[in-house]
Amino acid sequence: MSSQAVVIKKSKLLNEEARLAYILLAPAVIVLVAFMFYPIIYVFLMSFFDTDKLGRLRSFAAFKNYKVLFQTKDFWTITGRSILWTVIGVTTKTLFGLIIALLLNIEYRGRKFARMLFIIPWASAVPISAMLWQWVYNPEFGLLNFTLQATGIWKNPPIWLGQPISAFFACMWVDIWIGIPFMSLVFLAGMQAIPNELYESAYIDGVNSFQKFFYITLPGITELIMIATLLSSLWTFNDFNVIYILTKGGPGGATDILITSVYKNGFEWLKFNIASVMAVVTFLILAIVSIVYAKIYFGRERK
Amino acid sequence: MKKLKRFLLIAILLALLPGFIFAGGQKEKPKVTFFWALYDGLTEDFRASLQDAFMKANPDIDLDIVPVPWKNMHDKITTSLAGGNPPEISVIGTRWLLELMGMNAVDEVSKYVSKSTLDNIAPGAMEAKINGKLMGLPVAAGARIMAINSSITTFVPKTMEELRQEAIRVNNPPNVYGLIMPGKKHTELTDFAYYLLAAGGYFFEIKPDGSYGKCTVNSPAGVKALTFMNQLANVDKVVQKGYLSMNRMESHPVFYAGKAAYVFIGAWVESAMKQAKSNFKPIYAQIPPFKGNKSTPLIITDSIAFFKDAKNLKAAGKFIDFFYQDKWKAKFDELVGFPPVTISASKLPQFQTPLYKTLGEAALNAKGWPLMDGWAEYSDIIWDAVQNVFLQKQTPKEALDEAAAKIDKARGM
Repeated sequence: MSSQAVVIKKSKLLNEEARLAYILLAPAVIVLVAFMFYPIIYVFLMSFFDTDKLGRLRSFAAFKNYKVLFQTKDFWTITGRSILWTVIGVTTKTLFGLIIALLLNIEYRGRKFARMLFIIPWASAVPISAMLWQWVYNPEFGLLNFTLQATGIWKNPPIWLGQPISAFFACMWVDIWIGIPFMSLVFLAGMQAIPNELYESAYIDGVNSFQKFFYITLPGITELIMIATLLSSLWTFNDFNVIYILTKGGPGGATDILITSVYKNGFEWLKFNIASVMAVVTFLILAIVSIVYAKIYFGRERK
Repeated sequence: MKKLKRFLLIAILLALLPGFIFAGGQKEKPKVTFFWALYDGLTEDFRASLQDAFMKANPDIDLDIVPVPWKNMHDKITTSLAGGNPPEISVIGTRWLLELMGMNAVDEVSKYVSKSTLDNIAPGAMEAKINGKLMGLPVAAGARIMAINSSITTFVPKTMEELRQEAIRVNNPPNVYGLIMPGKKHTELTDFAYYLLAAGGYFFEIKPDGSYGKCTVNSPAGVKALTFMNQLANVDKVVQKGYLSMNRMESHPVFYAGKAAYVFIGAWVESAMKQAKSNFKPIYAQIPPFKGNKSTPLIITDSIAFFKDAKNLKAAGKFIDFFYQDKWKAKFDELVGFPPVTISASKLPQFQTPLYKTLGEAALNAKGWPLMDGWAEYSDIIWDAVQNVFLQKQTPKEALDEAAAKIDKARGM
């Protein structure tokens, strides 16, 4: 067989393979377009229209909905709170995740069991975890206040979900508690991929534990930290379940963030146009964060 | 490659084959979906046995009674309507009816429910009759009353002021609280409503033609009511610990546990206490008015609505006729504790107790929620005002002025 014939047969084969690939990919593409892109486009459209109580488009409103929302003081408070919620939540999850990953990376008896225990909060359904914490925080029958009082640590503990500041941090803690295992597991996987020889050489050179962490471990998992914190930022910003179950945004709106406000405006008050403007703002904030992350990440890769 | 394609095609056909055979071989039964509100006291056994009994009696109809917690019901209905997949029937708060009618979502009940069932409904319960058309079938109607833990006190206050004095006297936290006050937002604005009505106020001005005028929650009666609530909670501190973090469902168990002297509650109190295994005997009385006012309890009615865009409304009507027989509806009333809305059930011996007597008296002077579009948003605004006062962010006057202004603005007034 001539070399030309081989090339023709190969390209035909590639075409056929490509066609098959398109056929196999088609259902997934259709599903994505129908269930992801269409709703996103529709939300964008709704934000520029007056809508009825079922979210159907009525008349073109240009930027009226945006103007109405941006003139509301509550909107800016809620947006600021959402950013604060995300920054504190992700930072804490990252720090705790790192510490726990370091502890799980050390050789000791029962390490497997410890690793299994740390997965439980992440493996449980979020609503179940939130409901469990709702009972833990209960001022009358809850485990937390009972323990604090019984042990004498805090004679008059706060009513965790009853005051604005404590409710905000109580909700945040539940979100952190649920999110830590993911961070720990990702960091742990990264740590285990670092060649052991690096640590052995460092040991021979008399390097201490802190130096090992800052000069070997941390640089070794920096890219993973970036990806994990980006994902965690997206999830934390959109964490609806914990707040909705624990406080429904209360007391007095103190735990309302953009995503709970979108739900309230849309499905409780049936103001789908305003809810969609909020959803668009959420989308834009998260898109900006993702682009900045991507730029830094790929910039590092090129270096 | 061709072989692979052929293999894939055959595999897809084989996968679809059972579906075609099933679809072709069986005539699909009409399916009725019913969003079933989870009232306090209602058991899963009852729901399941009602569903099974109906399907046994009507093998040609498939019935799915979907239990939905009350706090999620409004959202569940809205999302199902927005998604174009409403249930055939659902329990609704009658106060949502105008909103649903505004969406053109509900249909007239009398088109689907038999005359004999409708004739058996007490005329006074037909709150959902709008412009002469019955748009919701009454399922539960009950005025709110006061329950007293007789092991703490037997004093029945005649005024709010007397109630406060007695609550202060018996209050001995954390063992005994004067009274229950839910401070966390929940579906209904009941708690502020009790005090507002007791002070002679209402949410809106009612014009001579029956339509609603401006919001009046900031009237002297409204301010008096909220000032009094704040006094009980933050000055006298006679309410349950952590009241701001407890909604109705979370705070009432404190009363059932025997730790509070007074609670403003609904007809479900007896069955809920039975379920909680309460070990004290309650006394039932009217929610007292403020001195110089007349007793005006809150009455809440719920209805069953038929959704226009659902497919099997006739079959749903058949189910309602089945459910509204005394065998099932009276049992339902007994479990949830509401006085029966059907004439035949109201004559049954189990509804002749002191609780039902008190509920009956309360209904005579009771007022209901405003029947208006947008009430969900307005009640939320009032809730925020109440919470801001509890959190001492605003005075009652400031908070209610702001709430009234917001509501009027939202209504374009």
